[in-house]
Amino acid sequence: MMRRGFQAAATLSRLRALPGAPRILPILNPAAAFGSSIDSRISRFCPKKTDFKDYALPNASWCPDMLSLYQEFLEKTKTDGWIKLPSFASNREHIQGLKLPTGLAVTPDNSDCRIITRSLQVEGQGYEHAIFFNPSEKKSVCLFQPGPYLEGAPGFAHGGSLATMTDETFSKTAYLAGEGLFTLSLSIRFKNLIPVGSLAVLNVSVDKIEDQKLYMSCITQTRDQKTVYAKSSGVFLQLQLEQE
Amino acid sequence: MLGRCAARALGALRGLREGAPPARSPGPSRRLLSSEKVSEKDHSLPKPCWSKDMRLLFDQFMKKCEDGSWIHLPSYEDIATQRSQDFSTFIHAYFPTASEQINKEKLSQGRIFTRSFEDGLGFEYVMFYNDAEKRIVCVFQGGPHLQGMPGFFHGGAIATMIDATVGMNAIVSGGIVMTANLNINFKRPIPLCSIVLINSQLDKIEGRKLLVSCNVQSVDEKILYTEATSLFIKLNPEKEFHIKELVLNSAPPA
Repeated sequence: MMRRGFQAAATLSRLRALPGAPRILPILNPAAAFGSSIDSRISRFCPKKTDFKDYALPNASWCPDMLSLYQEFLEKTKTDGWIKLPSFASNREHIQGLKLPTGLAVTPDNSDCRIITRSLQVEGQGYEHAIFFNPSEKKSVCLFQPGPYLEGAPGFAHGGSLATMTDETFSKTAYLAGEGLFTLSLSIRFKNLIPVGSLAVLNVSVDKIEDQKLYMSCITQTRDQKTVYAKSSGVFLQLQLEQE
Repeated sequence: MLGRCAARALGALRGLREGAPPARSPGPSRRLLSSEKVSEKDHSLPKPCWSKDMRLLFDQFMKKCEDGSWIHLPSYEDIATQRSQDFSTFIHAYFPTASEQINKEKLSQGRIFTRSFEDGLGFEYVMFYNDAEKRIVCVFQGGPHLQGMPGFFHGGAIATMIDATVGMNAIVSGGIVMTANLNINFKRPIPLCSIVLINSQLDKIEGRKLLVSCNVQSVDEKILYTEATSLFIKLNPEKEFHIKELVLNSAPPA
């Protein structure tokens, strides 16, 4: 159980370990550049060969809008420096060979665990989504189609499901762009309801990185940008993963 | 968060007032395209997947309900009452353009997100409401399918439970409401599969705006995990559905 909060983690990183003080959180050396480069993170995150199932691939439940926008971005991965991110059943599968810093890895490995955005496994029922990342611009686009098991008001996606998809897109962007690991804050302004089964496009950009924090913003809207569903911002804490 | 929760509460409360056991509510079941039967189970009553701590907390709060100062709020995965048609009609009238895009066939397959998981794998929770203090306490036991970083809850899972709790607080006071803003500060990551208390408080009503704040704490209240503030908007002040009266009238006689 963590005894100190995130603020302490950020502060500790600027101090050397005090003699006798319990070393609960990782001490980071601010003088050194963060442990890994963006390229090494991307290549670990997007393995060329893997046995893990990639859920971010088209299936029969995807609406025509989602399919065609997906194809559009696939083309951009060939020409414009975009990368399609794979999406596995758990974040553990994304960080093979690495683990959370000592003091944070509290729960024993449990193969029962799944990431919330891949928990509903019947096609079309939950979070149908695919994320594309642009390393040089530090931007992401998430194609999101909420299924009928994500309802709030009848026929519309639950506010919590959009909060989850937003946090998830922030999370993947923060990790690849700058080793962001944990959400410090999440702020969402809901403008309109998303009909279940329709396509919502989340555009995330990294606004700044300072003080061991990544600041991102997101706009969620229809593909033609005529309806804005939500505007959000998120702050993530930078922490290095350790070798296993 | 819209009137879905209110419909659930209404359905159960009608049942309570008419003397039916709380777990089942009268009214026609929704037709489903699949062969699955509509489940009318109240998910806010003890189940096998609840841990011992969760049961203890449930019992403690049920004791507080005995004098009527606290009310236990029921929770269904699907709306199986006549009232739900009113909510559906209202919401679709309010958002006509969006409503046109809804696949009507798929509509009947819907499940409220927080009840979309198999027992014990997702969100297990029960809410208790205190009308005098305008607050809700939600006892939340999250399961292994709510993971974010290995060993911890996903920020979105916590955001969903916060939205559900502050949303219910807003609904009881404001009728049909919509989440406008949600601002969450995560102080500490919450270990996966742990139990937490979500305490929400109605702070202010300004015309059609309702401000609700909340925090997420460990059961012993020693660890503060998360703090949040939210803003809800009443969609139509006239259509209150008298939810508050229904909620209060459901309390057992002293």
